[in-house]
Amino acid sequence: MILLREDSVLRPAPDVRFRIVDGEAVVVRQKSSEVLVMSEVAARILALADGIRPIGAWLDLLADEFEVDRANLERDVLRFAAELAGEGILEIAG
Amino acid sequence: MSFGQSFLRNPDLFPARSAGEPWGARELVLDLPGGPYGFSGLSADQEETVLARFGDLRLSSEPAPAVTSSVFRAAAEDFREIDTRGWEYGLDFDSGPSSVRLAGLDLVGRLDWRPALRGALWTSVGAGDRFPGIFENFCRVLVAYRLHELGGAVIHGAAVVDGGEALLFAGPSGAGKSTVSRMALERGLALLSDDLNALLPAPGGAILAGLPFTGDLGDGGGRHARYPLRALLRLEKDTQDRLRPLGRAEAAACLLACSPFVNADPGRHASLLATLLDLMDGVPAYALRFSLTGRMWSILPAA
Amino acid sequence: MSFTEVLRKTWRDNILFSVLVELTYRCNLDCFFCYNDLGLRGEPLSTEQYLRFFEDLADLQVLNLTLSGGEPLAHPDFLKLGARARELGFVVRVKSNGHALRGEMARRVRDEVDPFLIEVSLHGATAATHDLQTRVPGSFERLLANLREVLDLGMRVKINSTLTRWNEDEAEGMLDLAASLGLPIQIDPEVTPKDDGDREPLSIAPSREGVRRLFDLQMKRAVSVARGADDGTLPAPVEKHCGAGSAGVAVDPFGNVYPCVQWRRAVGNLHRQSIGEIWTGSTGLQEVRGLTAEAKLRVDAFGPSGGFLNFCPGSAAVRTGDPLNVYPEAVLRMEETEKAVRKKGLLPILP
Repeated sequence: MILLREDSVLRPAPDVRFRIVDGEAVVVRQKSSEVLVMSEVAARILALADGIRPIGAWLDLLADEFEVDRANLERDVLRFAAELAGEGILEIAG
Repeated sequence: MSFGQSFLRNPDLFPARSAGEPWGARELVLDLPGGPYGFSGLSADQEETVLARFGDLRLSSEPAPAVTSSVFRAAAEDFREIDTRGWEYGLDFDSGPSSVRLAGLDLVGRLDWRPALRGALWTSVGAGDRFPGIFENFCRVLVAYRLHELGGAVIHGAAVVDGGEALLFAGPSGAGKSTVSRMALERGLALLSDDLNALLPAPGGAILAGLPFTGDLGDGGGRHARYPLRALLRLEKDTQDRLRPLGRAEAAACLLACSPFVNADPGRHASLLATLLDLMDGVPAYALRFSLTGRMWSILPAA
Repeated sequence: MSFTEVLRKTWRDNILFSVLVELTYRCNLDCFFCYNDLGLRGEPLSTEQYLRFFEDLADLQVLNLTLSGGEPLAHPDFLKLGARARELGFVVRVKSNGHALRGEMARRVRDEVDPFLIEVSLHGATAATHDLQTRVPGSFERLLANLREVLDLGMRVKINSTLTRWNEDEAEGMLDLAASLGLPIQIDPEVTPKDDGDREPLSIAPSREGVRRLFDLQMKRAVSVARGADDGTLPAPVEKHCGAGSAGVAVDPFGNVYPCVQWRRAVGNLHRQSIGEIWTGSTGLQEVRGLTAEAKLRVDAFGPSGGFLNFCPGSAAVRTGDPLNVYPEAVLRMEETEKAVRKKGLLPILP
């Protein structure tokens, strides 16, 4: 399991292409020619993982967007981002 | 070096068909020997600059062009940068039985016979002073091949008009074409061109027609300049003036050396020689040794 | 939601998902049956316009972007456009004849464009046949050499072929050739008229016997009988016959927007409107969407055999003037496919 922190900066892996269709993420992994359809949360995280903003900045945005407590959000987002990173869909930038 | 490499960054992408994106929607028909020649796909600027050079050859829509060509865009990046200081202009050719490909400075072109001859020109020059030169270079090749298929030829030589007939002075570079041209003008004779002229078949001889592709002297004679060929004169500079008759084969050989583009096309060498032999059938030909005294005019064949 | 469901949704809800762009009609081959309308005129889209267009497509969440032509590599800014497409996150496909795909160009396409797939065209199993169709001597040998080079570079390649009267005896050879290179091959049994309606290409349409033999071969080798949409995805069963104008569009070098590469009914032009405006506002597109729904009813009317009907409304429009006219060649192929499948005792390969 990849350990992530609030100051971790993530971006999609180079072979990942994705689009948001009706709230869900259609993810294509070019190397394996695999197509995945991922949840709304994954779609949001993929869209936020721009290689510039740290996870902390996502949390600020998401807390506002969904009007939820930032601390509760943090655990879920870090875990989910780590899962995506573990699957090679996201990678640590820089 | 393989075809196109000296001019093109990627000869692998040389167009194999007359297609692409035209520069504009302007069409133009020019009255040149073997024509009329139609050109489409020109931008307004291109048309304007072509007309500045060839405007008196422009035809209205009738008669329909015998040969059509399309002009397409190419990108400046398609071409290698060439330092033209001290560079002698040349074109690169690749010919086959039903097509001829050419590449040059900022131009690529094709002639295709399917079965009728069609031309296509791609250039990165969409406007300005450089376009007419590109257009003319393409036209020179187009007309040379067109005349070849009509049993004629474009001849590199000086054509002088005397008494309603033409004298064609030919010879290798430095043989004296420009000198003869200047001397002719000084005598008050008309000069078609000191560079390229059209030789066309005619019953019992040949006709010399003006081309607007002139060198330093002459203006091509305008669109109706057509004169029976009185004689071919192979130039040899000397201190004396002397005329020696040439056989038909010698005459044809002289013209072969002076038939640009087509004489470098291995697949058309034999047919060009046959054409030139036909053209010289019944036309007197001489080797002319001439001095700068002007005495030669008195020994030239008269009308 | 599965990917098929996503596709179904794009068709049903008119979500633009796949776009094919004909960057230029310039081409370094001269295929006898090429469908491009070479008489088409207009103002070509500039590179800046293409870049804006790609950005608009990315904003619309278009996933698949196919760069086609002519020969797309002959567009002077192909690499720049391809690189931007990659940057914008498209799944990029390049439809190339493969003739210039070697050396530095091949490496740059891989490194700068990073296409998901390169689709190249094969015209026969021998140089004589391939070169006869491309009308460029040496193009067969060049293609084979380039394919090996591109595969060595680690690029993914698919071979497309069109069955013609000239190459129908080499269908098996083409399958063998593809297999020897380890490449997938799709042999399309349909020669289409040119986009301007010129029927000359049909003069080398395959014979009925040739089509039958191809289907037998495909069955024997368990190669799917081509029914895939242009973006490489299988159509999803919905109330429309195809995704033309509903999930995909095609664009020509002059900015004309069509429902599909084969359906040359302009529904807008990028010189005048953005793709977003065309997508939501074009009455032509609305009509096309209605027609694809009607086409579905026409195909369904064939009953179970309709499952074998590889019918293209765009091709019908060019051939007959009516996109709903199920032209005889499509029926012929349906019958031959059905026979081949039944003989083999397999279920039809359906979406």
